Amino acid sequence: MSSAELTPDAPRRPFTGRRVRPGDLILQLVAGLAAVAATVLVGLITWKVVEGARPSISEYGLGFVTDVVWSPAAGHELYGAGSFLFGTAITSLIALAIAAPLAIGIALYLTELAPRFLRGPITALVETLAAVPSVVIGLWGILVLGPILRDHVEPALHSGLGFIPLFGTPSDSGSSIFTAIIVLAIMILPIVSSISRELFLGVPGELKEGAFALGTTRWEMVRGVVFPYARGGIAAAMILGLGRAIGEAIAVTQVIGGGVFIHWNLFSNGDTLASKIAASYQGATSKLQVASLVYLALILLVFSLIMNLAAQWIVRRAARKQGITPQGIV
Amino acid sequence: MPKSGNFTRRIVLASLAATLAVVAAGTAGAASSKRSATTLSGAGSTFVQPLVSQWISPLASAYGYELQYSGIGSGGGIAAVTARTVDFGASDAPLTPDQFTACKGCVQIPWALSATSVIYNLDGAKNLLHMNGPTLSKIFAGQITQWDDPAIKALNKGVNLPSTKIATVHRSDNSGTTYNFTEYLSSVSGSWKSQYGKGVAVNWPNGTGSRGSAGVAATVSQTPGGIGYVDVAYALKNHLKFFSMQNSSGKFATPGLKGILAAASSDQKPEATTNELSIVNPPKKFPLAYPIATYTYVIVPTSSPKAAELRKFLFWALTKGQSYGPKLLFQPIPKSVLVVAEKTIAKVKPAG
Repeated sequence: MSSAELTPDAPRRPFTGRRVRPGDLILQLVAGLAAVAATVLVGLITWKVVEGARPSISEYGLGFVTDVVWSPAAGHELYGAGSFLFGTAITSLIALAIAAPLAIGIALYLTELAPRFLRGPITALVETLAAVPSVVIGLWGILVLGPILRDHVEPALHSGLGFIPLFGTPSDSGSSIFTAIIVLAIMILPIVSSISRELFLGVPGELKEGAFALGTTRWEMVRGVVFPYARGGIAAAMILGLGRAIGEAIAVTQVIGGGVFIHWNLFSNGDTLASKIAASYQGATSKLQVASLVYLALILLVFSLIMNLAAQWIVRRAARKQGITPQGIV
Repeated sequence: MPKSGNFTRRIVLASLAATLAVVAAGTAGAASSKRSATTLSGAGSTFVQPLVSQWISPLASAYGYELQYSGIGSGGGIAAVTARTVDFGASDAPLTPDQFTACKGCVQIPWALSATSVIYNLDGAKNLLHMNGPTLSKIFAGQITQWDDPAIKALNKGVNLPSTKIATVHRSDNSGTTYNFTEYLSSVSGSWKSQYGKGVAVNWPNGTGSRGSAGVAATVSQTPGGIGYVDVAYALKNHLKFFSMQNSSGKFATPGLKGILAAASSDQKPEATTNELSIVNPPKKFPLAYPIATYTYVIVPTSSPKAAELRKFLFWALTKGQSYGPKLLFQPIPKSVLVVAEKTIAKVKPAG
């Protein structure tokens, strides 16, 4: 089979370089500009952040990243990011671990299992969850979710699984890292589930029918056809969700309870990088404090970058192992 | 794919709707700004917000000014006036030297006088339990952890206190109320002063942080055994229980007008350039004083495009405006402070 047989007509030659079509030129220009602008924007933000953090960087150096202290009162000034970095990592990762299976379950139910008349309303409701402003979720977290977790869920987990250091003494106030994790999980649930739903809908019907024709059960079909087909896309959805969890500030500030410590007990309070910035930036009282808050922002930027790269690496490795090229967004 | 086409259409429709909304809002904004002659906008302290809201309609009928105020917290108010996005800012904590520098030619004027109440949530306990400074500082330092601690019992003889755990609640955002509260703790406890100090935020050793007065009040009311602090107007409005505080003469005082007035008599001379006044923990010779009282300040740029209107408004606020205070537990400011405040107002000049 030579290619000449397949292309009897003169093929279109897009990039011969001789004839420049104005349409192509405009496309090239516009798309190129957009790409360059995005890159420049990221560069500018990074430069600005580094510039703003400079006084704090020269005062504390790299030790700032791991130091566990935040003392803003005049005459007592000393800053470090350790506890906030820890808080960001633990809240976002556990929130994702809780939200991802639920979200995929929801997506699966909506595409494969739910009766047709239920699919529309449930989809709409799940997507509405994404539209609830974070400040509202935060208030609900203080007034409703926090007390429920404190009075029922935390004591139950503590008495049942108390030997794991994560489930220590329940909180007094209902504000805790655990409450923040649940709030974050609720916030990233609709993101992961609606993207997964789109991916599952994109699985070709012939493949699914083929699997059924081979006599598989519904679960075997899902495991053998739907999941492998959508694997890369699901991972991408999870990266998006993780990004949201890392960056969410207001709702977390409302429910996490504040505090500068590192400990494994999820039921005590803490802070994340984003929540600390949100709580303290307005009305910061000294130049050094402002610079230290911007330094936190710089760490947040680097942390999200590392998380993103790591996630992409995992996706690619998983795809190569399976011998499948990632589908969808990645 | 028909589905993706559908999706695109949805996005286009949504962005179209958004654009329309923005345009509508823009024209509406333009229309409303044309209607009124002068709008004075301010932002900051939630502490002073109830009083400022009372001023809106009398100010409109006296001068035809439209007063707009958003209670976004003292820290936010300072940031807003520094960026000149409002005509005046309001803060319960005096500006720090760095903040004065950043604000480029701002002056601060004491314009209201009230108190911070220490609220608690203890099942079955009456209102106005007794408390004193040293005990309170130990509670917030985490050294006293139970309601039936001997120190609290000694202050409340004859009251049956349970062994409930104490859970302290503080502000997580930068707050003038925190400044007032930690200024008091620093003044009654040497160890608090040396370890944590005073400020709009400090390095709290434990307890729960909540956002805004509303957040602190919500957390305290959700937490059995909770203790927190909010401005007294907020505590009264929301029917929260608060302590009667022992002052340095040994008497117990409530955060009422009498207690605030007595505290204010202890410092009647604002600092030379900053107009700062400190009236926490007044000396023995003020037996009626409530020990956690504070002035709250308005911050204005000395060069403003609305200088004449600002001067008129501030003068009105410091004189007529004070009469709206007492029913909200704002004590009218004393004469000696008023004189200094008026001198400072005169410094506000037209821009350019």
